[in-house]
Amino acid sequence: MKTITKLATAAVLGTTLGTAAVAQELYVPNLAYRTGPFAATGIPLMNGQADYFTMLNERDGGIGGLTVNAEECETGYSTEKGVECYEKTKGKAIVTQPWSTGITLQVLPKTNVDEIPILAPGYGFSPMADGTVFQWAFNMPAGYWDAASMIVQYLEEEGSLEGKKVAFLHLDHPYGKEPLPLLETLSENKGFELLPIPVGLKEMQNQSAQWLQIRRERPDYVVMWGWGAMNAGAITEAVKTKFPMENFIGVWWAGHDADLRLVGEDGKGYKSISWSFPNLEAPVMQDIREHVIDAGLSNTNPEESSGVFYSRGIVISAILAEGIRTAQEEYGTAEIDAAQLRWGLENINMTEERITELGLDGMVPPFSTSCANHTGHSGGWMLEWDGEQFVKVSDLMNANTDTYQDLISAKATEYADENAPWPTNEECSATN
Amino acid sequence: MLYDFLIQPFVDMATAPDFFLQVLWEGLVSGVLYALIALGFVLIFRSSRIFNFAQGIMVVFAALTLVGLHAMGVPAWIAVALTLAVMFVLAVTIERVVLRPLVGQPDIILFMATIGITLFLIGLGETIFGGENKVMISEELGIPTGDTVLEPWGGLLILQHLDITVVVVATLLVAGLLAFLNYTQMGRAIRALGDDHQAALSVGISLQTIWVLVWFIAGIIALVTGIAWGARAGVSFALEVIAYKALPVLMLGGLESITGAIVGGLMIGMLEKLFEIYWGQPFLGGNTETWFAFVLALIVLLFRPQGLFGERIIERV
Repeated sequence: MKTITKLATAAVLGTTLGTAAVAQELYVPNLAYRTGPFAATGIPLMNGQADYFTMLNERDGGIGGLTVNAEECETGYSTEKGVECYEKTKGKAIVTQPWSTGITLQVLPKTNVDEIPILAPGYGFSPMADGTVFQWAFNMPAGYWDAASMIVQYLEEEGSLEGKKVAFLHLDHPYGKEPLPLLETLSENKGFELLPIPVGLKEMQNQSAQWLQIRRERPDYVVMWGWGAMNAGAITEAVKTKFPMENFIGVWWAGHDADLRLVGEDGKGYKSISWSFPNLEAPVMQDIREHVIDAGLSNTNPEESSGVFYSRGIVISAILAEGIRTAQEEYGTAEIDAAQLRWGLENINMTEERITELGLDGMVPPFSTSCANHTGHSGGWMLEWDGEQFVKVSDLMNANTDTYQDLISAKATEYADENAPWPTNEECSATN
Repeated sequence: MLYDFLIQPFVDMATAPDFFLQVLWEGLVSGVLYALIALGFVLIFRSSRIFNFAQGIMVVFAALTLVGLHAMGVPAWIAVALTLAVMFVLAVTIERVVLRPLVGQPDIILFMATIGITLFLIGLGETIFGGENKVMISEELGIPTGDTVLEPWGGLLILQHLDITVVVVATLLVAGLLAFLNYTQMGRAIRALGDDHQAALSVGISLQTIWVLVWFIAGIIALVTGIAWGARAGVSFALEVIAYKALPVLMLGGLESITGAIVGGLMIGMLEKLFEIYWGQPFLGGNTETWFAFVLALIVLLFRPQGLFGERIIERV
């Protein structure tokens, strides 16, 4: 009995001390991938994310006086390893960042039970926008259906899509298939033929069959949902088959400078919709240069740090930091827990003024979230490769969310039904 | 439906012969590259009975070394020579540190050791070169860019100069390799070791020397493959995945046959492309290349378990 009492006392003491140790920092683990076939696109994003938090720690002493620990757990973009990383880090995490649609879909039900927010900026499951159903999941500032809607909108500006053919070149993976429900609906409504062309993981670097199909089918446009080595493979094949680059548009994950640098001038005209933009003159970039890069605390290099993906990493961490700050202000404490951060993420209000205050001028469009809207639907800019870098070729575009709000709700409900019992947020009305 | 599946594809081939030729050409280029990777596997298997799981990462490592050395200011062709030297050192190290202590162990142990080599090379490569996609130094190596456009039967046939170069260089490499194996003392020693281990050892063939040699040859093949693939879509760790495309080639051609690797590679390259374009995309939603080669190899194995060119194993009880 004495032994049991001693063990119990030790356990309580250990837990208390452990909690005290944890409380000295904000633990926001990142399920990163700097290795494997997708490392080329993962590294600049992870560097941008890490550098922003390092800058906050160095410049401001963290957020609200607590340093941010954005420890990385390497997944190699593998869903199995991602789930392992989630399980390993969830104990003291106040948020999880799965960094792949496959991992997001796997941990989605778990986070509902563990009550930890998932932050999947610009990726994940599009119906996560419905915060009444997906209480713990966030994909602000924009989701894949927003991207599909904006791309179709952009194409329509060049003329009606009625009777035209749009090839949808996508990674044969949950990520690549994600916009299909909306694209199919849009194809029916707008009268264009949608031609889905999957690219297997082993075929990413050798897409000659896919581009032969494109040559045979002669689509008016090619829309790409590519990632990792697939993007470079597709862009080089497009050049090879002489497909007009101005009719080739990718989602924001298919707009990586390094992929386009492979073809240089030949890639001129290729476009990518994006909710982030690298403004090297923005104050936040100068602060990162001063406090992180020049101080030797960064893994980045000059070429990478001027690119779209590095700056997107910065924007992602800035969004998370804003959620943390919002929660800290609401609850009057720096030591927020996962539930409090969820509230913070549900109440982000990134106005133009706030974006300027944060030094992110021109790097992210304004958006706001609510308990019902976990995506924010910020809209985005159409970027174009000019032979050397991506430049903005459109004003801020907004997705026609009204046209697929019902689809979001329907798919969210369908998911909840398939995974019943699925707790929903009864206190939040869909109109919030 | 039967007409669409059985007849229409051939009608399509006949009515658009330029496109058919383009499909065949693309298949041939892929096939040559598959054959190259498969050759690396076969050479090592023949001489040591080791299924070299590390062949894929050797392609990445060789290409990264070349690009990395050039990025450090080394002229292109000197970088090629230095990369070959690195691959030689790697071959010697593998033989000394991994293989020699495992002589006489079951095949599965040696196979597991090559998985260990793979993981080590991934870590080493990422530590030295990073995981970013890198541009192959095609121009510096004098690899031609651009294309030749032909108009057979009034149609369109685009031949990339890079692809033509790949086919020519790979053919020369394979021819050189066959000449080496057939007409040199060392080459015959490799074949002897493949035919009968004990007999080869009894006439004084050095196992260690041959192992270093075949791993070095596999390194040379890896470098050529890495340059060819890297010139198409950049050099990154994604290249490693391409090695898995060699597995059905080996199943089809036989693990021990150099001819099998070449014929199997070309067959799979062209047939999978034809199937994907004329049957996979119209009827099965595309992306059949991920499985077609395996199904084809399995069908062959049903009738010839040793592969098309493998040696028939007769075991006396």
